[in-house]
Amino acid sequence: MRQDNRQPLAVTRRKFLASAAWMSGAIATGVGSWVIPARWANAAEGPIKVGIATDLTGAIGYAGNANANIAKLVVKDINDAGGVLGRPLELHIEDTASNESVAVANVRKLIQRDKVDVVLGGITSSMRNAIKDVIVTRGKTLYIYPQLYEGKECTPYLFCTGPTPAQQCDEFIPWLIKNGGRRFALPSANYVWPHVLNAYARQVIEKNGGEVIFEEYYPLDQIEYSATVNKIMTNNVDVVFNTVIPPGVGPFFKQLYEAGFGKRGGRLSCVYYDENTLNINAPYEMEGLASCLDYFRAVDASEPFSAKLQAEYEKGFPGNILFCAGSAATGMYRGLKLWEAAVKEAGKLDRDSVAAALDHAKIAEGPGGPAEMVPGKRHCKMQMYTAVAKNGKYEIVARSNGLVDPKEC
Amino acid sequence: MESALNAIFEVLSFGAIIVLVVLGLGIIASMMGIFNFAHGEFVLLGAFTTYLVYKQGLPVWLGMLAAPIVLGAIGLVLERTVIRRFYAAPIVAMLGTYALGLVIRETVRGLIGGLYLSIPEPVVGSYVVGGVQLSKWRLIIIVITALVMTASYLLLTRTAFGLRVRASLENPALARASGISTDTIYAVTFAFGAALAGLAGALVVPIFSLFADLGIRFLIQGFLAVMLGGVGTFEGPVAGAGLIGTLSAALPWAVSPVLADVLVFVIAIVIVKLRPGGLINARRV
Repeated sequence: MRQDNRQPLAVTRRKFLASAAWMSGAIATGVGSWVIPARWANAAEGPIKVGIATDLTGAIGYAGNANANIAKLVVKDINDAGGVLGRPLELHIEDTASNESVAVANVRKLIQRDKVDVVLGGITSSMRNAIKDVIVTRGKTLYIYPQLYEGKECTPYLFCTGPTPAQQCDEFIPWLIKNGGRRFALPSANYVWPHVLNAYARQVIEKNGGEVIFEEYYPLDQIEYSATVNKIMTNNVDVVFNTVIPPGVGPFFKQLYEAGFGKRGGRLSCVYYDENTLNINAPYEMEGLASCLDYFRAVDASEPFSAKLQAEYEKGFPGNILFCAGSAATGMYRGLKLWEAAVKEAGKLDRDSVAAALDHAKIAEGPGGPAEMVPGKRHCKMQMYTAVAKNGKYEIVARSNGLVDPKEC
Repeated sequence: MESALNAIFEVLSFGAIIVLVVLGLGIIASMMGIFNFAHGEFVLLGAFTTYLVYKQGLPVWLGMLAAPIVLGAIGLVLERTVIRRFYAAPIVAMLGTYALGLVIRETVRGLIGGLYLSIPEPVVGSYVVGGVQLSKWRLIIIVITALVMTASYLLLTRTAFGLRVRASLENPALARASGISTDTIYAVTFAFGAALAGLAGALVVPIFSLFADLGIRFLIQGFLAVMLGGVGTFEGPVAGAGLIGTLSAALPWAVSPVLADVLVFVIAIVIVKLRPGGLINARRV
């Protein structure tokens, strides 16, 4: 192209600089913040502000978006029913971006700029640990953590509404021994959740007459598992209690299948597996995989409220962001509803009053059934289900007899 | 004995996968002096192309055929529009291609909803040899890798086109003076490298499933392989890739997996210290 044919540039340097400055300003101060105001207002006192800090982008964005969606749905329902204490709820959503350093800055915005009355969110334990101080200690705000996790979180004003190791192991492991065998392998990703969960699982396995053949940890991004698969096959392991996470879990299950683990009667199990993770492998590669969570879609058949909630969610948010238990979305539902119950009981919004009421809050309905906080423990009793993958779908094979105790703190 | 045979097969197949991924990276680095940080995302795009074809209800192997062609075209467009501006500044090229990779990765993440999706192998099942299950698909990958490697080598060393590529690498000014269009050669070489990445992505996606970070997982091993093997030759990066792939797959059989991950890097650094120019450092193809 010759110089003289060129059109004068549409973007001048000045224009470019101006828009770049505007853009960087926008990025620095608030892209990734969403405020969803209520459709009605209480002129005297204004709305109650609910902060959601979750991973809308990054590696676990699929889970974070489900959390944000269910929060929108619950808040809308509460507002439609007249709000809380005569005031509407206003939702403030911040992106924690699957990145702790980004998260801390964004959560600070919720606390300092928006002055929210409660924060719900965080999915990974490292995220919870990164943001809890900003919220609870420096922020003097109530924090509700919705994800299944390794337990041992006993910070005051921090309430957990996801399942703990006791809830996921106490009934599940005896089932595995009965429906798999006594020889367990614990292949795991090398971070805090598998380490602490395995320590608990090992106790339950040994107490029930099982035996841990090996417990091994892998780098989080390892995708080649031939050595592990060989160990499982040559040691005649009956049950693989897996805590390897994506991306490694897909190739690991595939190699196990190819080696003939399922064919010779081995039982695969993984306690974070929900409907989102069903797509990682072909259905035949994970046939018979057992999981234990507070909710599966298959529960809908016997739980009319769960079915109604799931239908409402699908209507509001069609697409591939699913409402499942493994991504903390069910814990988010419980967290919001328990908090609503607590605020109603307390009759005011200051942290101590709400925390005192939340300490024994109950909800009669929720995904998977009712739930209640265990007084003094800041953890949640809930119904637990054991499900087995058959042809790419879960079938419920066992359910807990009443609400299961989290046994924490 | 069974275990040893199994180990050899698994190590060989993972070595082949790494070689396949690194081949394109090595060719671009060696022939053009560009460290393409978007190579991992080209691998991802190859996998994504296969997924798109499969999702249309067409056979998976068709997607695998389409992937290198689509990626070759994408590579050509990117070279013409973006990469060619970086030849004078290799450091800027790293940052530029990194940015390119980021854009591709996050776009794909958005398109697949951040999920992990399984894609079936075109050939399912395994052969049983001496009591050991050898996955047919992994076996096919080993064969295809060997074929592609040989074909690329012959193309670069035995054909007139290869001669022009090498001439453009050796002395661009003289090549231009002799009537070789180095512009075209660079564009075609880059497209070829991208096509190889696309093929690699298409072939490995049934094993690792499709997810946005598929490429980045291989990028670090890929660069380690190029560094280890030495830039400037065809054999260097391939030898490096073979070594890295073998070490990554073999060490977990012997030591704890977390230690193995670190050991791969330690061994690589020691080798680079002993042979700073790489395993094969003659500037000849």
